[in-house]
Amino acid sequence: MSSTQCTKKIALIDCNSFYVSCERLFNPKIRNKPVVVLSSNDGCIISRSNEAKALGIKMGDPYFKAKDIILKNNVHIFSSNYSLYGDLSRRVMRTLKRFNSEIEIYSIDEAFLDLSNFPDDEVEDVGKEIRSIVLQWTGIPTSIGIAKTKTLSKVANHIAKKIKSGVVSLIGIKDIDPILEKVEINDVWGIGKQLTKFFAQSGIHNAKQLKNTSNTWIKKSSNVLSSRTAMELRGISCISLETQSSKRKSCVVSRSFAKKVEKLQELQESITSYCLNAAEKIRSESLITKSITVFIRTSPFQNQFAYYSNSKTIDLPIATDNSIEIVKTALTGLKSIFKNGYRYQKAGIMLSVLTDSQGSKNLFSSVKDEKIKNLMQSIDNTNYRFGRSTLSLASAGINKKLNIKRQHCSKIDTADFNFLPTIKAI
Amino acid sequence: MKLTVPFYLHKAGAGFPSPATDYIEEDVDLNIHLIKNVPATFIIRVQGKSMMDVGIYDGDLLVVDKSLKPKNFSTVIVNVHDELVVKNFVKEKDEQFLTSGSKKIEDKIIINSESDIFVWGVVTYVIHSVY
Repeated sequence: MSSTQCTKKIALIDCNSFYVSCERLFNPKIRNKPVVVLSSNDGCIISRSNEAKALGIKMGDPYFKAKDIILKNNVHIFSSNYSLYGDLSRRVMRTLKRFNSEIEIYSIDEAFLDLSNFPDDEVEDVGKEIRSIVLQWTGIPTSIGIAKTKTLSKVANHIAKKIKSGVVSLIGIKDIDPILEKVEINDVWGIGKQLTKFFAQSGIHNAKQLKNTSNTWIKKSSNVLSSRTAMELRGISCISLETQSSKRKSCVVSRSFAKKVEKLQELQESITSYCLNAAEKIRSESLITKSITVFIRTSPFQNQFAYYSNSKTIDLPIATDNSIEIVKTALTGLKSIFKNGYRYQKAGIMLSVLTDSQGSKNLFSSVKDEKIKNLMQSIDNTNYRFGRSTLSLASAGINKKLNIKRQHCSKIDTADFNFLPTIKAI
Repeated sequence: MKLTVPFYLHKAGAGFPSPATDYIEEDVDLNIHLIKNVPATFIIRVQGKSMMDVGIYDGDLLVVDKSLKPKNFSTVIVNVHDELVVKNFVKEKDEQFLTSGSKKIEDKIIINSESDIFVWGVVTYVIHSVY
């Protein structure tokens, strides 16, 4: 193998305990301490420091379940501060783009980066450099796995999480079977619960077994997607990076309520305000929606009350980004699923079948549409200048009683002038 | 976060006013000039008076670049015993230490391998309101 060989190389960069790391950035007192971050409304545990993991606190556990361990061990708890996490995520991604603009932002704390430009025998050092620069610039620790395919880079990342250097490259390793043998089938990227069950029945329990199973068999007995996964495990890239900021296909806004809600009117107010947020969001990305879904549910953890969960999807005749139309449609949907006598804990809406709003004029467009477009623009501009909800629809309710529960929120936002971090001069 | 200031092309001063007085050519974008490395730069508010002698007052805003290495006499955000504070960074012969703005020698905090002190970021600008 020549030293300048440049095969396909993909890095998966994953931020370690991302939300916890964000909370630690301006609060070094919680370095090396057990820390957890709770989901919106302080419902579940969604991020844990290594120290918290060592105490046996599980990802996704409801807060009340873990409360005993938390109190006994002085675990530091934080309500999620998504604005701060979002800003730090953008900073991490921008830093990664310095190494290559071919990047797929996979989630708030994960990205695939194409490193094919670098020679094979240097790529691990490049990974270490990326890790150290992201840490220095943004303060966020990461783990990096590098391999020939996305699926293998996930495997490499899995191993990287457990070692001190935080970087693992599978490039140039001739026989990866011993590594894949240790990866359980449900830990393979793209293999969900159903497939795990199915493969287990066929005697496939780890990644090595899947890799060495014939494509014909996989295609015949499960589906094309898992044959792609098997190919990827063999080092043949089948799943390409989704770069060019491929536009979102849906937009969801949902919240848990601090106090259980029973009245239709209160739900209407919440749904209206979610619709306004979502509509503003898609307008800012020049998208229009053709399908609106409303969903409501009661708490699955309250045994003494009946459980109810339902959703309604309404397709629009003509795609729109008009707040008023979106709210109207969603409220119609809500009425059709609302049932009296339940204590609702969560509600939300989803705008889907999103498409580009450019050139979306059609036969039925009119001068009225132009006027509405201008109205929406003015609302967005006003809200941008004077803060969200300065201009709103009356159906959103004037006093927001339903404010979500965020008892333990760090009052820091690196992207909001009014909540900048404060540091002492002493 | 973005702050821009309209930038007037003609000079202020005595003399015949230009016919283009109210013509605004471009905005000065302070982000471009004060923030060299966007993902690594944070705006931080100061609380406390220990740095007044070097012109940093209570409530001032600091532009802090985490990607920079401190030079001699740089103002830095530094983690001292698990607390972030503003200090001056000084290199002298084989010694590195932190001082507050004041000349008082007892302020000196020595940095060595046992001191558990890390530079968090380097202050590049101080924004102080005088109005």
